Amino acid sequence: MNRATPRLRALAALPFVLALAVHLLLFARWRDELPAELATHYSLGDGGEADGWTGRAGYVLISTALIAGLAAAWTALVRRRALWGAWATAGFTGGLLVQLLRNNLVDEFEVQVSEPAVDLAVAGTAAVAAALAGWALTSLVPEEEPAVRSGAPDGPRLALGASEVAGWSRSTGSRALTVLAALALAAAPVVLLVLSWPDALFGLLGLVIGVPGLALARVRVTVDRHGLTVRSGVFPKPRVRIPLDEIAGADARDVHALAEFGGWGYRVRAHRTGVVLRSGEALVVRRDGGREFAVTVPDAETAAALLNTLAERHGKV
Amino acid sequence: MLFRVDPASSVPLGDQIAACVRGALADGSAAPGERLPAARELADSLGVNVHTVLRGYQRLREEGLIELRRGRGALIVPGATAPDRARLVSRLREAAAEARELGLSDEEFVELARTSLG
Repeated sequence: MNRATPRLRALAALPFVLALAVHLLLFARWRDELPAELATHYSLGDGGEADGWTGRAGYVLISTALIAGLAAAWTALVRRRALWGAWATAGFTGGLLVQLLRNNLVDEFEVQVSEPAVDLAVAGTAAVAAALAGWALTSLVPEEEPAVRSGAPDGPRLALGASEVAGWSRSTGSRALTVLAALALAAAPVVLLVLSWPDALFGLLGLVIGVPGLALARVRVTVDRHGLTVRSGVFPKPRVRIPLDEIAGADARDVHALAEFGGWGYRVRAHRTGVVLRSGEALVVRRDGGREFAVTVPDAETAAALLNTLAERHGKV
Repeated sequence: MLFRVDPASSVPLGDQIAACVRGALADGSAAPGERLPAARELADSLGVNVHTVLRGYQRLREEGLIELRRGRGALIVPGATAPDRARLVSRLREAAAEARELGLSDEEFVELARTSLG
């Protein structure tokens, strides 16, 4: 199985540390010239004049949290071939923040003005330069182990006659997720009505959480001649399908939602993906290349046995 | 729930599908209140005609084992007695098959069943 080495993770975190350091250093250096309230939002209409301000402490806190959040995400999910992406992200974010500081370096009674094209050009250049550096550093990380494809899938089997055709289908759901998603959806219009613009935009968060939540609250898991398919019980799309010829083996085992997947729902981790509606019995499929896909479903043992049998039969044809 | 059918068998495919649901209900691998896959999906999974699956579902409905609801698909009847009912139906079908092997006509079998209600 492939794992991101500590070295790869360190190289993914490095650009964010650099961006944070440069940003804070510049902030400290320009401290006396920066206003007490930094212009952090610019109107697009009035020649880019500032229309939103943040206090110094708040600004440092928010910008640091932004960089730290991006760093955490990239460090957790990085793959060798995507290392340049971490550097590009850090370069772009750092570039934008430094531009923001520079736009604030004006005399007290002048209006802060931003030229979006210039800011984006600077951030873009920083991103490209950082991406090139990241790409060059990729050679410091050893190649991921090549996929080992064993002749036949391992795991349990199901005795199936030569002319027999079989399929397995099961619907599974999470009541907690249903309730949470429904609450989020119900909150969206309330927030939109009660809060003033632009805070009311938080109401959209209700939709962003509620719609996918509801789609995942009930899923149908199917194992058949096409492979493994997981789709929402509410909407026909999207669905996840792993074709038989990409399956290296299937097993039933208990998974832990928080420890292994960091939560519930559609989870993407460095080496495994999952539709995780609870902790407990799950169908776990190993794909060619070593990645795992898990879906929590009752009677997973039968599903795994059928999947292995079908994959083996598919390979013989 | 596991569906397995054998197109080479002399038993009609719809009956084989119905038998899968009955068996799953009887041995506990399907629970009362559980939703069956949509007929179109199951037909695609097994590579059979949609009408074949619907014939199987219709038979299960006549046996009182599933409910067919418009827009909600097929649902195993809720209630703790569903597995026992599934076992009863299976035994009845076995008895009917045995009666045919013995050369009894359908009327004679029904008459026999009525007498045994005694």
